[in-house]
Amino acid sequence: MVTALMIWLGTMIFSFVLGTYLCFKIEKSGVKRWGATGRIFKYK
Amino acid sequence: MMYIVVLGFYLLFIVWSSVKSLKNAESISDFTTGGHRMGLLLGIGTTTATWVSVASVLGVPGYLYSSGVAAIIGWVAGWCLGGALIPLVAYKIRRPETPVRTFPEFIHLRYEPFKKNSPLRMIVGILMTIGYFLLVHIQVVGFGIVFETITGIDYKIAIFAFLVFLLFTSIGGFWSVAATDTLNTVLIVIGVVLGSGAVLAATGGLQNIVDTLSTTTAPTIAGGPPLEKGILLTPLGTFSLSALISIFISNSLGSPASPHWVTRMLAPKNIKVAILQIMGTIGVLLFIMGPLIILGLGAKALLPSLPAGKTTDYIVPLIIQDYAPPLVGAMTLVALCAAAVSTANSMLLTAGTTLYYDVFLGIFPKKVSDKDFNKTLRLIIFVMGFLAVVSAIKPPWFLAMGFVYVYGGFGAAFFLAVFLGLYWKRMNAAGAYAGILIGSIGYVVSKALGASNPFLIAAGISLIGVILAVYMSKKPPIEAYEPYFEEKVSKSTDRVLTNVINRSEGA
Repeated sequence: MVTALMIWLGTMIFSFVLGTYLCFKIEKSGVKRWGATGRIFKYK
Repeated sequence: MMYIVVLGFYLLFIVWSSVKSLKNAESISDFTTGGHRMGLLLGIGTTTATWVSVASVLGVPGYLYSSGVAAIIGWVAGWCLGGALIPLVAYKIRRPETPVRTFPEFIHLRYEPFKKNSPLRMIVGILMTIGYFLLVHIQVVGFGIVFETITGIDYKIAIFAFLVFLLFTSIGGFWSVAATDTLNTVLIVIGVVLGSGAVLAATGGLQNIVDTLSTTTAPTIAGGPPLEKGILLTPLGTFSLSALISIFISNSLGSPASPHWVTRMLAPKNIKVAILQIMGTIGVLLFIMGPLIILGLGAKALLPSLPAGKTTDYIVPLIIQDYAPPLVGAMTLVALCAAAVSTANSMLLTAGTTLYYDVFLGIFPKKVSDKDFNKTLRLIIFVMGFLAVVSAIKPPWFLAMGFVYVYGGFGAAFFLAVFLGLYWKRMNAAGAYAGILIGSIGYVVSKALGASNPFLIAAGISLIGVILAVYMSKKPPIEAYEPYFEEKVSKSTDRVLTNVINRSEGA
């Protein structure tokens, strides 16, 4: 049971890491149309 | 009685929110993708409700009941990994200033931008229509199971009640679907949390459930073969390694390439909102999948074997009816109905739009006004819903496994065309034809021949076909890939983009 739950947890962590990385890339691009706001998790 | 009262309130809300949303659906873009202006909270609501289907709320607890914790790996973790990959699609597909409105339109623009009518777009549209019809069929089956439990009406008649919900949730197009979906998400969370609380109370807690699972040998269906002691707590459960890998891969790689998720990434205001929407959804899903795991595993402690003649898809309605207080039971069962309705309406919207906008108007090109477009699309959605209901009179599949088959098919057909199209400039039309045709045919053939992992076989031969086709044919024109790789596009690309997107607009 622990193995199954750890695999699920692992996929969730991967999701947040990948999402954060992509938000960081958007900020780095500076393109407002894509959602760049100056702060990584801030959105408009 | 309590069940019917709660269901009545749910229907009233659906009617109210749908009529309210009708005002928002004015243009083709409004009807199909909400005009590319959806905010974060509504986005999380609609994405969660679409994600949580009857395969999640009935099918997954059913497999937890019969196969044990392995279902967490195959479905819950598989879908979560698939969800994690969806932002990779959003990151690229929302780059153009004027985004496409449908998945086949993306295929047209990326692979055959100079053709007025793209054959590849139509092939994709036809494959999608078949796949979504099957997925809606699965939702109808799940809806029928729950509605039968709530009302006592025979399943074969109960499924026709689905059309009433469909009528109201789909007529307003995207905004109606999004608004009702957000309410459905709230209902689903409350319903499954209450339901799992009732199961925990009835079983005496999580430790008792684990103790039962570690010792039980009770067959899944009364009179069937006994289970091996402790098997329900092993990572593989009753699956073979290859079967579990196949389920995990189909769910995880099939999801991000599934056209309705690609289309969903076109609705938010911008790329960042789309990414945050998926991250938020995965957070909310913790509060849905966690209780569903308790429901499925706890059911084994409460009802060791299902009565003969019932499938594992019935396990949640059965234990909720027997062990939850009336109000809690009613909330949980209405939540299950909400899961079926909210997924079916999104899929019917995607399938109807594709059939009319991408296939019909491709074969019989004509300019249509927004009003005529919306009117025809509503009719198509309702007819498709009716056919799905008729097809569900005799259900052929287990709900969760049906999803695996269709997601596997979508993944085999579209994964390479989507991801290579968005991330590899050299990917061209020949590669897309090879990937989509070899992938879809390969999947059907290997499934028919009984292969244990049809997705991997189809994706493998399709990848070889794509690479050969791409390097044996010309490089794609810059107009095909520029919108997905550059912030600003050239004038010729802008002209091509406008031509493809305005193909059927403006009577």
